[in-house]
Amino acid sequence: MTAQKSRNASLLSHLGDAALPFGIVVALLATWEAAVHLLKIQPFVLPAPTEIFKELLISGPTVILPQLHVTLIETLAGYLAAVIISAILSVLILYSSTFRRGVLPLIVASQTIPIITMAPVLVIWFGYNSLPRIIITAIVAFFPLTIAAVTGLKSLEPQFIDFFRSLNATPAQIFFKLRLPVALPSIFGGLKVAATLAVIGATISEWVGASQGIGYLIAQDTALLNTTRVFASLTVLGVAGMALFGLVGLIERLSMPWIYARPSMAWLRASQNPRAPAAAVARPRQ
Amino acid sequence: MDGVRLQISNLHSGYATPDRGLVPTVDGVDLALNRNEFVSIIGPSGCGKSTLFNVIAGLLSPTSGEVALDGKAIVGRPGHVAYMMQRDLLLPWRTILDNVVLGPELAGKPMEAARNRAAALLRRFGLEGYENSYPSSLSGGMRQRAALLRTILCDRSVVLLDEPFGALDALTRATMHEWLLGIQREFQQTMILITHDPDEAIYLSDRVYVATPRPMRFAGIVPIELPYDRGRDVTMTPQFADHKRQVLALLRGDKGALDALH
Ligand SMILES: Nc1ncnc2c1ncn2[C@@H]1O[C@H](COP(=O)(O)OP(=O)(O)OP(=O)(O)O)[C@@H](O)[C@H]1O
Ligand SMILES: [Mg+2]
Repeated sequence: MTAQKSRNASLLSHLGDAALPFGIVVALLATWEAAVHLLKIQPFVLPAPTEIFKELLISGPTVILPQLHVTLIETLAGYLAAVIISAILSVLILYSSTFRRGVLPLIVASQTIPIITMAPVLVIWFGYNSLPRIIITAIVAFFPLTIAAVTGLKSLEPQFIDFFRSLNATPAQIFFKLRLPVALPSIFGGLKVAATLAVIGATISEWVGASQGIGYLIAQDTALLNTTRVFASLTVLGVAGMALFGLVGLIERLSMPWIYARPSMAWLRASQNPRAPAAAVARPRQ
Repeated sequence: MDGVRLQISNLHSGYATPDRGLVPTVDGVDLALNRNEFVSIIGPSGCGKSTLFNVIAGLLSPTSGEVALDGKAIVGRPGHVAYMMQRDLLLPWRTILDNVVLGPELAGKPMEAARNRAAALLRRFGLEGYENSYPSSLSGGMRQRAALLRTILCDRSVVLLDEPFGALDALTRATMHEWLLGIQREFQQTMILITHDPDEAIYLSDRVYVATPRPMRFAGIVPIELPYDRGRDVTMTPQFADHKRQVLALLRGDKGALDALH
């Protein structure tokens, strides 16, 4: 009963958390709508929110979503590639001082190049398909992810290593049973940043040398002064980006129950083990 | 003696510095530990006690000297003794049950049996019902008991305890003393304990080694002549007070202290 009550309470507080940003958005949209009508702003300069909404209903399912589909596939492919590249790089950086001294500075230097300017060259190299855009997406996303992973993998207190060594642990055991779990919060931070960057990377890469994708659609509509549909596309893109971010966040919560032991999950555990006293319900102390 | 488990002979250790060369931390330590004995090392902070444990555990190579376990040299070879370090070092991402079976897990032992054995011991260690909890929800005393259970489940013939109760309040600490003594007797453990607390050392031990300030040597060894089965009330006996006087005199650096009392 108390568990039920506290769960309701936490649900309420979550609604309270959502109410504030929701209120702000509504107020902003209302101001925007009023300003467009009162100042008689042309739709190709700034369309009213209601117009954007109408456009969403008209061209959303038929025009925008098919293009989003293309972009999302590039995003996910590039993101996946970035994750694999980062995993390899961070292990190399962690264990090889030669690599750390020889290659890491070059990777950092490469990040000062605005990679998007490479898009036409990549099209020449890899052809008129989605591969150049997947490459750009991966290049944009891997860097913060690698840095976050290396930082996390190095954040281990040396006493833990001594303790594992005293148990005669192998280097592989020290990596997988010690370094990796310690690094998880940092790695997930990197995964979230990389998720948003991957969406941006895929979209912008479609501005050059592409014939489909939501970035291509936005570029076309901008040229045609179809600003209303540009905003509709941006809205769809924003929702897709938030969904990807939220998905990574969900995986984060599920993979680190010792940090994110939600009351509902703790309640589940307690019911599996009837002897567990109330105090055993895991809640991290702040 | 055929009962000798751990034999430390003329051990020296130190650490290298750029300006002062090799700074000695352990300066000629001898120690012999018999099967099922409990001895304590007491000494001032920073004298080199943890360094000595790191050498015994094989984490640190000594400058010179021998460490033999059951007659075999173990210098520089980790994995032969169970070592509970100064901090509990429970892994925050593992439940208590998963934490305490770490020793067998890293050694590649069959986990089903290890988990069953651990689960059966949780009650004796005051952790019953907490097997699926994370360390963050445990009190300080419970964390220490979990760390001790993990140490004992490593199944080594000698257990090193580096100030296991240093961070606990006096009341919890007193309870833990009685409990630890019970555990040591019941599980037939051979233990060395590091402490700053003379009462703790005397109450728990068969022998107390009193260490000098750095570099560490033993200023003297006080054999404790309290009954094998001792309750908390032995701390009130004249015998206990005598032992405490001996230990404190040695800690102060009073060389004739031991002879004067005998
Ligand atoms: N690698 C090193 N570099 C610098 N100083 C060191 C090193 N190793 C040990 N020391 C010093 O040697 C001394 C002994 O350290 P040790 O940890 O063994 O002391 P301790 O007796 O366990 O102290 P405490 O009771 O406070 O735990 C300390 O003063 C420590 O600063
Ligand atoms: Mg110490």
